[in-house]
Amino acid sequence: MTRNPEQAAPATHPADHKTHPAKHRVHMDQEIYLIGLNHRTASVEVRERFALTDCTVLEQGVVPTGDDISEVVILSTCNRVEIMAVGNGPGVPQRVLDCWAAARGQQRGDLEPFVYVHKGIDAVRHLFSVASSLDSMVVGEPQILGQLKDAYRKAVGRSATRVVLNRLLHKAFSVAKRVRTETAVASSAVSISYAAVELAKRIFGEMSQYKAMLIGAGEMAELAATHLLNSGIREIMVANRTFERGLQLAKQFKGEAVLFQDLSVRLSEADIIISSTGAHEPIIRARDIKDVLKRRKNRPMFFIDIAVPRDIDPDVNNLDNVYLYDIDDLKEVVEENMAQRRDEAAKARSIVEEEAGNFAKWLKSLDLQPTIVDLLRRSERIAQDELARTLKRIGPVDDATREALQAMLCAIVKKVNHEPITFLKRRFDEEEAGTRYIDITRRMFNLDCDDVPEDAHSDRKHPQPRDDA
Amino acid sequence: MSSLELLSIAIIMLYVLGTVCIAVGLLARRDRLKRLSHWLTVAGFVLHTLMLGLSMQGQTWQILEKAYYFRMLSWSLLLIYFFVWWRLRLEFLGLTASPVALVFYVSSFMLADVQSKLPPAMSGLFFGLHIGTLFLSFSLMTMACGAGLLFLYMDRKLKHKTRLSGFDRDLPALSAFDRVNHLAVMAGFPLFTLGMVSGFVWARIAWGKVLSWDPKEIVSLVVWCMFAVLFHQRLALGWRGRKTAVMAIWIFAVCVFSLLGVNFLMTTHHSFNPQ
Repeated sequence: MTRNPEQAAPATHPADHKTHPAKHRVHMDQEIYLIGLNHRTASVEVRERFALTDCTVLEQGVVPTGDDISEVVILSTCNRVEIMAVGNGPGVPQRVLDCWAAARGQQRGDLEPFVYVHKGIDAVRHLFSVASSLDSMVVGEPQILGQLKDAYRKAVGRSATRVVLNRLLHKAFSVAKRVRTETAVASSAVSISYAAVELAKRIFGEMSQYKAMLIGAGEMAELAATHLLNSGIREIMVANRTFERGLQLAKQFKGEAVLFQDLSVRLSEADIIISSTGAHEPIIRARDIKDVLKRRKNRPMFFIDIAVPRDIDPDVNNLDNVYLYDIDDLKEVVEENMAQRRDEAAKARSIVEEEAGNFAKWLKSLDLQPTIVDLLRRSERIAQDELARTLKRIGPVDDATREALQAMLCAIVKKVNHEPITFLKRRFDEEEAGTRYIDITRRMFNLDCDDVPEDAHSDRKHPQPRDDA
Repeated sequence: MSSLELLSIAIIMLYVLGTVCIAVGLLARRDRLKRLSHWLTVAGFVLHTLMLGLSMQGQTWQILEKAYYFRMLSWSLLLIYFFVWWRLRLEFLGLTASPVALVFYVSSFMLADVQSKLPPAMSGLFFGLHIGTLFLSFSLMTMACGAGLLFLYMDRKLKHKTRLSGFDRDLPALSAFDRVNHLAVMAGFPLFTLGMVSGFVWARIAWGKVLSWDPKEIVSLVVWCMFAVLFHQRLALGWRGRKTAVMAIWIFAVCVFSLLGVNFLMTTHHSFNPQ
């Protein structure tokens, strides 16, 4: 640990110390709050008005850490604002709202109706759902995790996070990862254009040697073409009734414009055909495709017909090596994927629930007494294990010897732990440092039985956020 | 001999573990298990090669256990598998390779107790050429059959627009299956032809006649004709996909019949049964 956020933060508040009757109990009133709004609680206008992405106050932190708020992380995207705060006293949400509204030059009253306030385990659960993209508009979309990581990095840069939020955010990242690997919540396409590209991949695999052709233009066709380009397709040809428009599109995709009259000739060059003309009659018929296939030596073709009425004769699908999906087929694929995502989301929620429970347990143990108990119990367990092993090795002994051994181990456990425990007690009376040393102790002796990967810190760069993984 | 037996048990264990790992890895969608299965299969293959080399020592071509025949077959199948895996980077081949290798290897033990003398005619260079090329092409057809079955399965799903399960998503694209078919046909047919020709030449030398109307020879000729049609259609007419997959499956089926059915049920001078 080269850089300690606490050192930059205002360390102690002597005035508080004097007036507070039970200093060592102060931290126990600390509570996690999550105050925010999202696409369900607020309309676009409201979200724009209260977004915290590009305002100058953000540099110093919208919500300053100080007297009653000790840790803050702010996440702001186009769909949501989430402010996580750790503080004591019931006034925390009000203070956060005041700062938030003030940062955007608005009144608190304008903001309040759109805001939800979660406290304690509810806040934890909500954050975990957000991180695993269960709360997103499109469930399973992957951007939110990156945005949350950025938000956390910024908060660490401002030294606005400590023990609780550090662990909370790291847990949120690992929960998101668990959801990603253990459920299929993000594994299937949920837009029509993307579903078409996924299907193309099922047929062709690596896309780099294939060509696509757009027949006619339209928003969805262009979107599909963009997806195809992103997945590495070699070239996109455009055949449009008005050649100028075709040229324009071709330029956009760095492809080639084809005369509409030449369509049947040039069709044999394309592996993926996306058709969306306004024609009333089918423009591609099965018997035309038979010739095309002969010229192509039967290399497979994938037709995507997103026009209504349809551009491509449905009989085309009966030809070997030709696959035809029309708009209804694609819609069905998308709906199935959506349904699958919903099923998987239920699985993901139970993961979130479980991890939120674990976190609450940890939070509760972040107190002096449970930590001392855990510390002693750990030493005693090791001592008893070793005693059993030794007795097994040296064979049967008389009771007096056994008791002597027991007594010796007991004394060792007490004496070894004496100094750390007095140290903890002493530090705990200084409220600021209390939780931090408790946390360090818990991690140093692995009292929460986390499995820490060996390379947990290998990806660290300078400057480093405080990490508890 | 006991060291050979020990080796055999080790090989079986490795192939069994490889099969179990690939099955579990596929169902549970764990990549690590699949990779483990590949390593197990490779380890089994190394021991397998060692074992074949050891049991060859001090023996002549004339006295060979029939078990050897099958062990050699499973060995050449794996050889092809590793080659295709390396060339085309197709991991799914492990799906068919380790179970099939296991089946062949174990079945070689069921035959091991009957030790037969190969007819003295079966010796020399032609034996190696005849058996070696046919084994290699048979192994290629096994691959093509596996790929063909998967092709038909995926093709149906895509044509009928049925929902793709997680297992389907893990399979490679359709074009990959077709590439396996291509490779198997392009390499397999010349090898098969070479094997047939060497057999006939050898028969001419050994028995004085090219064709003795042996059941095995007839079935093999049928296979050759089917193979020739497939080869020609693929090369000249550009057949691809479903038709070639179906033909590869048929050719494999007839091959299996000629390998097992003819050898065990009919009287043939290709028989394993003591004459």
